[in-house]
Amino acid sequence: MLRNRKRVVVTGYGMITPIGKNSQETFENAKNGVSGIDLLSSFETQGLPCRIGGQVDDSWLNAFPAQGLQGIEKCNSRGLKLMISAVSEAVESARLNSIENRDRIGVSLGYHGENPSVEDMLTLYRYGGKDVWDIRGLTANGVYSFFNFFRRKPDVATSILSILFNCRGSNITTVSACAAGAQAIGEALGIIREGRADVMIAGGCESNLNFSGFIGFVLIRALSERYSSPEKASRPFDRKRNGFVMSEGAGSLVLESLDHALERKAPILAEVLGYGSSADAFRITDIHPKGDGAVFAMQGALADAGLAPGDIDYINAHGTSTVQNDQIETLAIKRIWGERAKEISVSSNKSMIGHTIAAAGAIEAGLTIMGLNTSVLLPTINYEFADPKCDLDYVPNLAREQVHEIALSNSFGFGGQNACLCFGKFRQ
Amino acid sequence: MKQNLIPEQRVLSEVTKAISEGIDINPVRVKPESSLIKDLGAESLDFLDINYRLEQTFGIKMARRSVLDHMEELFGEESAIDSDGKLTDKAAKVLALRYDGSGEQIQAGMDMDELPAMVTVSSITEGVMNLLDSLAEKCVNCGAQNWSLKDETRINCASCGEEATFTSGDDLIQIWLNQIQEDKKIF
Repeated sequence: MLRNRKRVVVTGYGMITPIGKNSQETFENAKNGVSGIDLLSSFETQGLPCRIGGQVDDSWLNAFPAQGLQGIEKCNSRGLKLMISAVSEAVESARLNSIENRDRIGVSLGYHGENPSVEDMLTLYRYGGKDVWDIRGLTANGVYSFFNFFRRKPDVATSILSILFNCRGSNITTVSACAAGAQAIGEALGIIREGRADVMIAGGCESNLNFSGFIGFVLIRALSERYSSPEKASRPFDRKRNGFVMSEGAGSLVLESLDHALERKAPILAEVLGYGSSADAFRITDIHPKGDGAVFAMQGALADAGLAPGDIDYINAHGTSTVQNDQIETLAIKRIWGERAKEISVSSNKSMIGHTIAAAGAIEAGLTIMGLNTSVLLPTINYEFADPKCDLDYVPNLAREQVHEIALSNSFGFGGQNACLCFGKFRQ
Repeated sequence: MKQNLIPEQRVLSEVTKAISEGIDINPVRVKPESSLIKDLGAESLDFLDINYRLEQTFGIKMARRSVLDHMEELFGEESAIDSDGKLTDKAAKVLALRYDGSGEQIQAGMDMDELPAMVTVSSITEGVMNLLDSLAEKCVNCGAQNWSLKDETRINCASCGEEATFTSGDDLIQIWLNQIQEDKKIF
């Protein structure tokens, strides 16, 4: 079955994160263990038990490439702006603009749309909500833009990407929390294998560092509330971890069938070998205590790639820095690799970047590929106190030079949505 | 000050109601000795929901952080949970004082993962009673010392109608721990 299947390769990647305006800068900073976490300035956090996060520098955002295009710019949420930066980089590195027929280029985006702003809600409430709607007042010039509605819809972001980058193929949006970015890539893989497109721009974006996006995570106590300094708060697999740190960002890959990439002499950066996807079918925020969902996702990716556990050299972990995730992800890895689990290097990019939710799987996919190609294992920083329940090789604190051929990248979402991608160095 | 407007039996029945509605189970299953996790199948979001219900019912502020968290903050890292993730001797002593006679025996060396299962209906009831007993001496609004009961679970000022104020759950734990430390010099 594997032999007859279309091979799919990565011909471009791009990202924008708290530690870099593009892939190269992010990778270099991650390699040097630079943290992107700081006190938040994006909205007032005084009085909140968590006041930190990973913001992207505003000056890094690309100018909107479609200025003057009627209305489109007004639908542009911050998450989409981040994605446009990441996709621009990916498209350029894949030299996608040289393809003339755009019918078989698609877009697969993991996103949740923009959270409504306080001003937005107040305006709506003023003209309705408390009494009979004053629709004349609401629609009067300059009062309220109906574009605000589009900014909140994740599907509109995917649609705008297709307009901006002229992609007339399959156009899908994935909404699955922390698994969204990885799932968007995995589903794009399936679309190309099935012959429904030759090229897919795939990835995810997220911008939640605002009033209504942040507070929900505070209320469910998912965020780190105890830290000596902001850059020390995200500490995956460390015994003193106590929650994740929210960040914003975007990541994008260009996936392409091998035949198509070879024919147009595109740069081939890696091969997407497999994808596994599963659900815990357990609880809303609690992870299955034995890590069943995580195990099924990793086993799924291995089976899809036609590989055995022993073929894997490195795992880019979900590693959120919550007590539960890191312990159970470790357990899940041990369930698959058994005694050999300690020989595999496992590290979490979130120790430096924080958790970019729907973007995380896509950013981590890009960094995994860069690591394969440069023989670098990115570190897990802030690893100071060993946790007896997390006893694998987490590449603590310092990046490691090590040739590796095949890697897994895990993304596990709230609600037990799990995705695992398998990447390999490209071999003819 | 110790309040005597809401009897413990009443608190227990409100806690039972909050738990049965929060977890969505028949209240007959909710016994004082029931462990929320082991016997009633509560998950992490249920605890937030139950706390929220009790805060609404009594006008109190439940603790956000555990006694062990507070212990580590007051008496130093690893004072409550050692580097192997086990309960320390000192923390076991403190918890035994706090949950005297309720639920299972707390022992040093227990894994921290086992601790959440020790939260029972009666330990929550006791926690709520302690919060209610932190009732301020006087009304912050009019200074009267004239508390009365409204809607059976809300204490307010009979003179001006102002809602009663209580110490927050987190502050109360810290006050209690400092008191224990002063009396017993455990740490």
